[in-house]
Amino acid sequence: MNDKDVRKFLSINGIDRRDFLIGGSALISAALVTACDSSGPKSAEPLLRFAERKNRTVERKLFRHTSMDVVQAGAHDAGNKLPSYFVSPTVPVWDESVRGKWALEVSGMVGQPMRFTLDDLQRLPRVSNRVNHYCVEGWTAVETWTGVPFSELARVVRADPNARFVDFQSFDDDYHESWDIESAMHRQTVIAYGLDGKMLEPAHGAPARLYSPVKLGYKNTKYLTKIVFMPRMNGGYWSDRGYEWYGGV
Amino acid sequence: MTTPHPPAKAKSRKRHHWIVRVTHWVNVVAIIIMVGSGLQIFNAYPAFARKGEIFCCYPFEHKPIPDWLTFGGWLAGARNWHFAMMWVLVVNGLIYLGFVYLHGEWRDLVPRKGDIRDSWQMVKFYTFRRKDHPHQGKHNALQKGTYFALPIAGALAVLTGIAIWKPVQLSWLTNLFGGYVWARYWHFIIMLVIVILSVIHVFMVFAVDPYSITSMITGNYDPALSPEARNARPFYHLLPPRRTPPAAPPPTEAT
Repeated sequence: MNDKDVRKFLSINGIDRRDFLIGGSALISAALVTACDSSGPKSAEPLLRFAERKNRTVERKLFRHTSMDVVQAGAHDAGNKLPSYFVSPTVPVWDESVRGKWALEVSGMVGQPMRFTLDDLQRLPRVSNRVNHYCVEGWTAVETWTGVPFSELARVVRADPNARFVDFQSFDDDYHESWDIESAMHRQTVIAYGLDGKMLEPAHGAPARLYSPVKLGYKNTKYLTKIVFMPRMNGGYWSDRGYEWYGGV
Repeated sequence: MTTPHPPAKAKSRKRHHWIVRVTHWVNVVAIIIMVGSGLQIFNAYPAFARKGEIFCCYPFEHKPIPDWLTFGGWLAGARNWHFAMMWVLVVNGLIYLGFVYLHGEWRDLVPRKGDIRDSWQMVKFYTFRRKDHPHQGKHNALQKGTYFALPIAGALAVLTGIAIWKPVQLSWLTNLFGGYVWARYWHFIIMLVIVILSVIHVFMVFAVDPYSITSMITGNYDPALSPEARNARPFYHLLPPRRTPPAAPPPTEAT
């Protein structure tokens, strides 16, 4: 092959059209087969975790205490269409005959660790928020949540201003989720004991649950037992199983 | 010692700058992963209605997308891919648009008076109602329209995506698209538009101008092989060479 032929071969004129079609379709099929319902290459894991950390920084910068969730005009309440959800095999119910009277323990970086019975919570300032529920799955539901603003609870126990994270623990197996303090102190974040004008039912987290429209549903721990103010985050049930820790909307 | 001159290229010339080629292929990967992971996320709730309501405008509520079209394995996996790859899509798109603007390539893409007429001529040509390929610049009128529309669709995909990512913190954006439920719907529809345009694009590349694949890899393109020069209709180049039609019989004179 002389020089001219080589050039000709390398020029686009020389590349065989059929090779192109065959090679091209083979490449595309290979890409499709690899993509078939897989989680992608394992080697991408560190990159995905890196992206999640960077996203968290962006999301915390975007967060504003003044950004309120507003229900769209004309939106209907979900009512009994609100899905019930828990990780235990059956609906978790607090059995007083076994565990004694339910109380919410607030501890960690606080001036005054305290235990609140349901009556104690109801004596604290009360708000009712008609807000959206944003589920990680993509659905939303409008409900009215009644309870104590978290910021009020933090004031009562004299939370340390240096506490940067809060862990919300439950009696639904080992379910818990930790939050950044800003989202917890948002005005629409409440420790809810009422739903749509009635006391919370076991299906939705009785006796009390965390509720805020600024976080995805899975961050809002139900069946609360313990709130801990912390200097560092400590993950969470779904956050440890692959879902992003921040989960803010 | 003198450096030899590079061999003169007889026919082929540069068609795509390397920035255009690199961003094109990065975009291919980014779009495939965004669509696949997006459909996996969609399958967690393959519907649009708010709980306790009915949604007017989607006939396939609660029918999941087939698994083979999804990517990410499960909801969390797909979300992690989606929220990582979105940055690749955005940064890559901005590099492309910045280049096209600064380098003047936008002139080949912006719509002009007459593009609608020229598009109609292309349709007539492809449907054998016009014999010769309409005269064109770098792209034919249908391509121009598509390549102009795609970045707009991409920008809308990003904006509707941000709207359903941050419906509380960026509620003004979500409200601009009609609220969370509608923004999620528009995000889905824009995805469909991008997928349909991309599928047509890939089909036409193979069917009309397979030489453009080389030009999107090496940058070189031989104008003598352009669809206009070859008068190429879909799959024209795969048909056996046309025999010269027999000469029309001489008109018989009426006697």
